[in-house]
Amino acid sequence: MIPAGLLLAYALLTATLGAWWLRRAAWPQHAPRLGVAVWQALSVSTALSVVLASLVVTIPRGAVGAGFAELLRACVWALRAEYGAVGGPLMGAAGAAVGGGVAARAAYCLIRESAAAVRERRRHAALLAPVARLDTRLRALVVPCEAAAAYCLPGGHGRIVLTTGALDVLDPGQLTGVLAHERAHLRGRHHLAVGVAVALARAFPGVPVFRHAADQIPQLLEMLADDAAVRHGDRGAHAAALVALAARGGAPARALAAGGPEALARVRRLVAPRRPFGPVRRAAALIGVVALIALPIVVAAAPALAAAQTPHCPVEVSVLG
Amino acid sequence: MRRLGELEAAIMDRLWTWSRPTRVREVLDDLRRERELAYTTVMTVMDNLHRKGLLARERDGRAYRYQATVSREDHTAGLMEAALASGGDRTAALLRLVHRMDPDEVAALRKALDEAHDGRGGQR
Repeated sequence: MIPAGLLLAYALLTATLGAWWLRRAAWPQHAPRLGVAVWQALSVSTALSVVLASLVVTIPRGAVGAGFAELLRACVWALRAEYGAVGGPLMGAAGAAVGGGVAARAAYCLIRESAAAVRERRRHAALLAPVARLDTRLRALVVPCEAAAAYCLPGGHGRIVLTTGALDVLDPGQLTGVLAHERAHLRGRHHLAVGVAVALARAFPGVPVFRHAADQIPQLLEMLADDAAVRHGDRGAHAAALVALAARGGAPARALAAGGPEALARVRRLVAPRRPFGPVRRAAALIGVVALIALPIVVAAAPALAAAQTPHCPVEVSVLG
Repeated sequence: MRRLGELEAAIMDRLWTWSRPTRVREVLDDLRRERELAYTTVMTVMDNLHRKGLLARERDGRAYRYQATVSREDHTAGLMEAALASGGDRTAALLRLVHRMDPDEVAALRKALDEAHDGRGGQR
């Protein structure tokens, strides 16, 4: 029971305190790519820990075929001893239900959300076709519309969409930056990261780490694309482009549905840049990402490795042991 | 897929310009001035546009007469409205550069921008 308890405690920690710490941290804004990686690692390690916790209370109970079970009886006993399996078969069944439930729910929501996004994109592209014209110089679809808007339609080849209203308010330098921003989204397949984060938040509403990840990852990806936009251009000009587009974007349909605070953070980091992360902080963040995911795996696997070293288990562990 | 999109656009363009009930044959004759097309191709695409709700149709003898359901301007405005309305609830369907905001928020953005310029000695 000890590994299962440890894993659940770890999941609780990453889901609450971990998310709280990362949301308050200022550094992800200055290293958005690493920030996204740490949010993803926190999310994955939370889900992984719960699934592994259920595995370690389930597997030693021997959900194994009869002949196989005969063969491995001694090994199963060793495994049980190492995992300290207590409680009746009820515990095993409950563990299987929780782990299977979590995995199935996550998979179901991922499939549902991505199917919905693909459908929505196709529908939008089909409706766009009769009114948009492909500007071969900009490599973007231009839509006659007074409201200023720039967005990308990912998937397949991916398309950048600009309204004539947006072209009106951007000078040539700003337009280059905006196009670079959108191309960074498409090239980096940012929609996939957003899709997974949103699907997990919908699958497990109320779990802080998933809720915050779905909120923070898209923002950090916008900042990452902003960085790509200013790599060959003027930071101030790109900030001004964001403001100009916001000002001509049309009023929000609903109150409180606006993107003000997020845009403000982006403008501030554009006009007051910080030095990028040095190799030391970069390495520290990467080690953190690996540790977040490796830790639950090690906790879950350690008793199995110990059991495998008993003479009953016909498992070759010369490398791992 | 891309070619179909082009043909859809060409057909909608004509129906919006003419804005009267139109037979497949009339559209085909006009399109044929630019390129060679089969009657069935145009008929299929117009049937698709009808299924998508862009064209309404009424029977006229053995054929249909088609007409755009909304004007070009209304179609574009509605499409952009639907695409850009998402502010708080995110989906991965499309990634937008900046989300809509109310005038106060835009003013706050302007202020942040101006302060930065002043701070750098009136650069730009």
